[in-house]
Amino acid sequence: MTSDNPFVPYPATLKRVTDLTLDVKLFCVEFNDHVLRESFDYMPGQFGFLSAYGVGEAPFGITSVASHKETVDFAVRQVGTVSYALHELQQEATVGVRGPFGNSWPMEDFKGKNLVVIGGGIGFAPVRPVITWVLENREAYGDMLIFNGARTPSDLVFASEFDTWASAPGTKLELTVDRGDDSWEGRVALLPDVLMELNPSPKNAVTVICGPPIMIKFTLEKLKKLGFEDEQIFTTLESKMKCGLGKCARCNVGDKYICQDGPVFNYAQISQLIEQF
Amino acid sequence: MTQVISKQDLLSWLGKVAEQRIIVAPVRDGELVLFKEISNVEDIVVGAANTVLSPKEFFFPRSETLFTVEGKDGTSEVVPVNLDREVVLFGLRPCDAKGIVLIDKPFCADPADTLYKQHRAMTTLVGLACTEACADGFCTSMGSGPGDASNVDILLTGVGDSYAIQVITDNGKALLSGAKTQEVDVSLPAPPTVSELPTDGLVEKAEKVFNNEYWSRVADRCLHCNVCAYVCPTCYCFDIRDYNDRGRIQRVRAWESCQSPGFTKIAGGHNPRANKGARLRQRWYHKFLYFPHQFDAEVACTGCGRCVRSCPVNIDIREIIRDIQSLEAPSD
Repeated sequence: MTSDNPFVPYPATLKRVTDLTLDVKLFCVEFNDHVLRESFDYMPGQFGFLSAYGVGEAPFGITSVASHKETVDFAVRQVGTVSYALHELQQEATVGVRGPFGNSWPMEDFKGKNLVVIGGGIGFAPVRPVITWVLENREAYGDMLIFNGARTPSDLVFASEFDTWASAPGTKLELTVDRGDDSWEGRVALLPDVLMELNPSPKNAVTVICGPPIMIKFTLEKLKKLGFEDEQIFTTLESKMKCGLGKCARCNVGDKYICQDGPVFNYAQISQLIEQF
Repeated sequence: MTQVISKQDLLSWLGKVAEQRIIVAPVRDGELVLFKEISNVEDIVVGAANTVLSPKEFFFPRSETLFTVEGKDGTSEVVPVNLDREVVLFGLRPCDAKGIVLIDKPFCADPADTLYKQHRAMTTLVGLACTEACADGFCTSMGSGPGDASNVDILLTGVGDSYAIQVITDNGKALLSGAKTQEVDVSLPAPPTVSELPTDGLVEKAEKVFNNEYWSRVADRCLHCNVCAYVCPTCYCFDIRDYNDRGRIQRVRAWESCQSPGFTKIAGGHNPRANKGARLRQRWYHKFLYFPHQFDAEVACTGCGRCVRSCPVNIDIREIIRDIQSLEAPSD
């Protein structure tokens, strides 16, 4: 660490920049400090801040897993000031990284359970490390049903990994888009409807879900219909954040800070918050 | 026996202190009285009214550079700012001292805010008890009071032409060495009476009326000017931004307020707290429910009355406290 000031990022380098979709890039970030490359440890669901120096910093979910030591990866959609600036950067550019922050998907509690992993659009990025983690520890978990939904086929993120996931033992991948194109032979349907059709059993199962609010809303309704209880449904909350340290109070909701008490909550916890985001 | 110092000896002591340290005290600035770094101890103003702004800015400045990034060989090197000044904050009122101790909670919670802690460690607090109640204060209802000595290093109380001295901490004792004080047989004057608010069962009541339309009704006239947060000794929300001055990049932290429309707005446009009622409610609930819960602390209001005095549309936190007692839980 360059200093013991928690606001000062670790200097890092963009080792690889890959287009995942027209407006989403995958940044594979390598710490400049060799020791940190080895020691930087985190769990699926945690997040970090990326700095585009001179423009600012913003929080992004870490989409890699810690066993992958070479780089720490962030899938960033070009949507705000900082993400625009990051998208302008080329390979080998210097960025800053702070993290890891927040709690994580409770991978320990998920052991022995069937998983339904649901990601919509860029919301797939924070659930991706759940998949990687499960595949790396395959025998510890039950069946895994993955839903990746997007507006169009070219908006589906992590397409290069679909074959790996689909062919993994005890794992099923379902892709769906709202609108197809000439080359798309897969499903054209809304994700909540596909979920109903596949009818996953809530028995000994948990679901992790992330996506746009409207998708979450309708998917939650369907999950309830399928018999999933609030305690079985986990999501990660997005919020304005400036510090990640429980200080700036931007992500304060009820008596929680999303940056420290979250970003992962189950719906039983969310429904207990006095204010509903 | 009480240790006292005459006004004249107080000034000569402060003059001596000023040779070693920076003194921050209330001084006149145009029509306002503000805490400022002083160059002459004669400029210090110790009237009955409190300063327009709380002294929180000497620990949590309005804007402060967290670090600078200097370009070298095409790479960035992060150079954190460091502070090296000792400060005496003189003449702060018990409500403001309590405000500082309250915002210690978030800033000093692990991992501590480095700059805040440095400001705090380098500052000795010399408080001044209130011998007259101020117009809109309600400190006694918020766990403090005009003679509260618990959050300062030294507390002075005006007694005739002198000040009675209560030394609270070792820091205070060290600072006072060299002052010409006397032991005399006077007792501290009784603190003035401050009007009380009905706070019994306030939190329990507030939990039930979160969804009452009251919040939107009160906030209807709010201009979201943020003055309530800026004058408040305990409002501590902040923003962080980068400034790029011809390649010299500064990351700056600045005051922000939950009353700003964009406070919770995220990239892409979603804003979970898009209406004024929800934002006004957030400020109140953060102070009275969330903060005590999060930090196992008292309410984050010191009853200084500044937001009452400063609000251009007369939104009155005392009125809200009174109103809550008679609000009904919404029926849905």
